[in-house]
Amino acid sequence: MDFTVFAQQIANGLVNGMAYVLIATGLTLVFGVLRIVNFAHGEFYMLGAYITYFVGTLFGLDYIAAAAISAVVVAGLGVAANKLIFWPLRRDHEFTILLSSLGLALLIANGGELLFGADPKYVESPFADEVLDIGTVTLTQQRVLVFAAAVVALIAVYLFIRYSRFGKMMRATAQNPDGAALTGINIGLVHTYTFALACGLAALSGALVGPTVMIFPTIGNWAVLKGFIVVIMGGLGSVTGALFAGLLLGVIESLGGGYISLGFMEAIGYAMIIAVLLWRPNGLFSTARGLR
Amino acid sequence: MNTNSHGQSLGQPLAIAGGVAALAVLPFLAGNAYLEHLLVLWMLYALLALSLNIVIGYLGELTFGHAAFVGVGAYTSAILSTQLGLPPLLGLPLAGLVAAGFGLVIGYAALRVVGPQFAILTLGFGAILFTITNHWVDLTRGPMGITDIPPMAIGPLAFDSARPTYYLVLALVLATAYLCHALVGSRTGRAFLAVRENAPLAASLGINVFHTKLMGFVAATAIAGIGGAIYAHYIRVITPDIMGVHNVAALIIVVIIGGRGTILGPILGALVYIGLLESLRVAGPLRMVIFAALLTGTVVFLPGGLISLWQRWRNAHRSENNLPATPTGLPSTEGGAK
Repeated sequence: MDFTVFAQQIANGLVNGMAYVLIATGLTLVFGVLRIVNFAHGEFYMLGAYITYFVGTLFGLDYIAAAAISAVVVAGLGVAANKLIFWPLRRDHEFTILLSSLGLALLIANGGELLFGADPKYVESPFADEVLDIGTVTLTQQRVLVFAAAVVALIAVYLFIRYSRFGKMMRATAQNPDGAALTGINIGLVHTYTFALACGLAALSGALVGPTVMIFPTIGNWAVLKGFIVVIMGGLGSVTGALFAGLLLGVIESLGGGYISLGFMEAIGYAMIIAVLLWRPNGLFSTARGLR
Repeated sequence: MNTNSHGQSLGQPLAIAGGVAALAVLPFLAGNAYLEHLLVLWMLYALLALSLNIVIGYLGELTFGHAAFVGVGAYTSAILSTQLGLPPLLGLPLAGLVAAGFGLVIGYAALRVVGPQFAILTLGFGAILFTITNHWVDLTRGPMGITDIPPMAIGPLAFDSARPTYYLVLALVLATAYLCHALVGSRTGRAFLAVRENAPLAASLGINVFHTKLMGFVAATAIAGIGGAIYAHYIRVITPDIMGVHNVAALIIVVIIGGRGTILGPILGALVYIGLLESLRVAGPLRMVIFAALLTGTVVFLPGGLISLWQRWRNAHRSENNLPATPTGLPSTEGGAK
């Protein structure tokens, strides 16, 4: 086992893992605060990548601006999805909510195929072809950007939840929505910006990962599956769990793909969550209710 | 279904006999091979939806992995008949057994959690089976799929065209429908419903919730496997797409639109699904957008599915004639999960 190859695999895994963490953080926030399992979350990742592509090619804006616009637009779409579907259904059974989010996912994915076409697209980025050497590890600048931007975004989210007034309202809602409402917290507002934040993060992930892969209207399926694996492994509602589980999944997939089989790489990741769940059915970081 | 207790003890068997007779003569009314093919697809989806309905409707758990078991059954029988030369008639029960084996292992692991976590876990298991099928080229030929699968045959009777296959699947649908009906009336079935309505209460009454759910899940996967095997021997070609997210969504749509927790609901849902799928063929990708809208619309506005429209109408009709009305929406013994 060559050390250079090994270090390279770890670095690739951490970058992939960080993208998973961004997707999973939104998913786990929506569950932790609002008790909603949003099956359509991956579609916001897909929309993030596509809007970055279209803003870049149609309006000729540079990549960074396109990514920022895409995150804001998708956050707005998330708020709209909340207003139309999730907020009216908030008192319904989780079964109803899960099924309607599945309907929303199919709607966005197939609507996306209608609008964007089924052929793969490639998001242009000035960082995609430039290489950066860190010790013996070689990464494209784009992949370094994925990691760095994700770290910055996650720190910002952490500070937001921990210290801002809105963050405290979120945590109160997570602990007890009725109690929070009684103390005068506007639950509707919490719903709105939790969705904005979650969908914005998903879109950011899509915009960042877009230039490193081909994008299709069906990548939302892939994204939500990865997000779910990470969230389930870390414990539904746990942000810390999502961070560790996401990086772990990325690294294990990368090592499995490098040393065992590229084709079965995905199955290795899934096999891992099953092993974890047999040991801890509610995930690695599950404790009592609330945001962690 | 639930009408015996409401003074229709004579009407119900007659209605069922009439329905079965109508289904039996349908291929002769179809007139052409294309419509007969659609009838087979309708019955196949009805069979698969009835099996999924055991989990969604009676156990009250949502599974996103059902298509994977259909695929396991299809691949089991296809591989046995193409590579080992086993007659498809033997492959059919083996497909059910292998699918049930997978169902047992996966159910044992996944049913430790309930609700959304279970749904997500089954999605993950389904994805594992899909990935393995797609990449284990030596066994499954990967994305190329298995071709030249021999048709099903019982002795000299070959099910190599739509009409005989229709009767084969119809027989299985009727058998499954009867099993579901008998199940709901049995002690085991009542345990299913008790677990669905209130698991802690059911446990306190001495029902082993985990074993009850596992039993229902394994039964559902066995039927799914048999349905998959028939599909493979009828279409004669299978690819890993049979296990894909698309098929998962299709089966859920059929059960929900028809009416979960009922027997006629999944059969009706399959008719609507196949009918719309074919009549909207020109619409292309817009079809799935329409189905997605139908799914969301049904979940929000008509939680009991299309079948509940009939129940509502019947109740309205009854109240006009001063007959006792059954509760609207989901009836207590066969209602879906709330």
